[in-house]
Amino acid sequence: MNIKEIQIPTFLKRIFNGRNTVISMPYLWLLFLFLFPFIIVLKISFAQPILAMPPYTDLLKWGESWWPTIQASFDSYLFIFSDSLYIRAYLSSLKIALISTVLTLIIGYAIAYSVARAPTRWRGILLMIVILPFWTSFLIRVYAWIGILKTKGLLNLALISLGIIDKPLIIMNTDLAVYIGIVYSYLPFMILPLYANLEKMDMNLLEAAADLGCRPFKTFWTVTIPLSLPGILAGCFLVFIPVVGEFVIPDLLGGTRTLMIGKVLWGEFFYNRDWPVASAVAIILLALLVVPIMFYQKSQEKAIS
Amino acid sequence: MTETTTTEPWLDSNQKPYIQIENVTKKFGDFTAIDNLSLDIYKNEFFSLLGPSGCGKTTLLRMLAGFERFTEGRVLVDGEDISEIPPHLRPINMMFQSYALFPHMTVEKNIAFGLKQDKLPAKAITQRVEEMLELVELTDFAKRKPSQLSGGQSQRVALARCLAKQPKLLLLDEPLGSLDKRLREQTQFELMDIQEKLEVTFVIVTHDQEEAMTVSSRIGVMDSGKLIQVATPTQIYEAPINREVADFIGDVNIFKGVYKGQDEKGTQLLSEDSKSIIYATQKADVPVGNKIWFALRPEKLEITKKLPEVDCNILKGKIEDIGYGGSFSTYHVKLENGRQLTAIRANHERTAEHYLTWGDEVYLHWVPHSAVVLLS
Repeated sequence: MNIKEIQIPTFLKRIFNGRNTVISMPYLWLLFLFLFPFIIVLKISFAQPILAMPPYTDLLKWGESWWPTIQASFDSYLFIFSDSLYIRAYLSSLKIALISTVLTLIIGYAIAYSVARAPTRWRGILLMIVILPFWTSFLIRVYAWIGILKTKGLLNLALISLGIIDKPLIIMNTDLAVYIGIVYSYLPFMILPLYANLEKMDMNLLEAAADLGCRPFKTFWTVTIPLSLPGILAGCFLVFIPVVGEFVIPDLLGGTRTLMIGKVLWGEFFYNRDWPVASAVAIILLALLVVPIMFYQKSQEKAIS
Repeated sequence: MTETTTTEPWLDSNQKPYIQIENVTKKFGDFTAIDNLSLDIYKNEFFSLLGPSGCGKTTLLRMLAGFERFTEGRVLVDGEDISEIPPHLRPINMMFQSYALFPHMTVEKNIAFGLKQDKLPAKAITQRVEEMLELVELTDFAKRKPSQLSGGQSQRVALARCLAKQPKLLLLDEPLGSLDKRLREQTQFELMDIQEKLEVTFVIVTHDQEEAMTVSSRIGVMDSGKLIQVATPTQIYEAPINREVADFIGDVNIFKGVYKGQDEKGTQLLSEDSKSIIYATQKADVPVGNKIWFALRPEKLEITKKLPEVDCNILKGKIEDIGYGGSFSTYHVKLENGRQLTAIRANHERTAEHYLTWGDEVYLHWVPHSAVVLLS
């Protein structure tokens, strides 16, 4: 009897050991679900629109010779920078994202703080109430706000019947409606990291501050806020980054004058069928967001160490 | 060193107590944490609250600091009723068991924190912080963050932070609890030096009876929200008022029995641990026939191989166990009735362990004035 062992080369053994295999999983995930789609979008952004299916030119052209020629066009990028609409849309998106992040932070901090200070047996229930809206579709929840905010909506009817106002408030289709929608939708993303931070805060520190003569309000500013900074940063980035590219809320609640880059992107794809410009808009948006994403990564690393 | 003060203000009826705790009760729902407790503490005292966990000592401390409101009673500091004053306005500072140093501030800023709340000029704050850093020997660590300090250093920063405000009363919650034994012993003496130098009244909470004995001018032994005995360390150790205190402070051998009266050798006790009557000098103030107890510290039990030449208090037994402790050895001796007693003997000779050994038949004896008579 002669059993031959299959010889696996040592360099392969070294590469495919258990540890490397486990580590490679998230990288493979990123490779297939982020990097490949990204490269496709990047490729389209350098193409030109044509009336065909798909509606853009190929980047590589196979000619007479046996190597392809590259047909890269920067027209889409030049177009974006030449038309002020796009720049205004970027700036407006950043502004709306910034303001709504601040609003979400203020409201979210108050909620997270009160949940973290509630009796232990209440905390689980309160947190569940915070997460509960996630059980319904995001789209339906935004639609529900139309019913509340429109001229003859629930809010106006309630205020008029209470005699607080005579004429209905015009909220629907304004920036205010967009802010309401964003703050409402993204509140849980702010509350959860803040709660995680505030809940584990050492209450002795607050007592120590009081003991050393610090008034409760000042203690909040000099001890609680600085110590919850990692939670504040995490919450703000989790809200700010997706809000910049938000499309559904400004489209449903905002007016024609509400300018956000997500809406512009949608328009380029589906109304103008100009995929290269739409792709270029997406690439620039990503480039803009890389900076805050890197800051977020840094702060997370710091929080872990 | 068992007593740090030469004067004993609590014995002088002309002395006015500095801290007066009057009939204080604290209830958490149905649970009574502090039960109608009254206590006077005098200026510059180093007072220890000692007791098992859950006895209410930390609650009492937190009430003095203002973190818990009492259900009934009041507290006066230097004649002023502080019961209704919120913690940030009390002339009292507390050192937390966890030290509670602000992790986002440097050592320097931690110490300055309390001074800043008093709106002192910046120059005065800097000067005071420097003084405090010098006092606790941490000048070189001023710019460090708490996470970069060792346990002992953190403890000293916490102490400096409390002392910076020159409080009328300093409360310390298990101040040395998280230090290792060697550092703890060293720090005990440092604490005493600082307390003497700055003339601040200290109230310390501890479950470590050795620590309480070393540092305190007086000890209050607590259990179930009540003070059982308040006395100097020596009195607590040598004259505990009941079995609970005797048992909590140090090791003790207790003889249960019936009071048989008084004769020229002292109080007579008939105990099942001894065939003959055993004696203690201290008088028992109860009728003959009552149940009383004798408490005897292990170091007061003499252990010999030869029959001692005395006429009373001799017990015969066999060595069951020996704990060699370097400077002393602990012997567990089993009496004829099966009862086990503990005796401690200083190792005067270098070869002491050969002198008494496992299984040896030995005699235990004590002089009558070594035993304490307990009525409960």
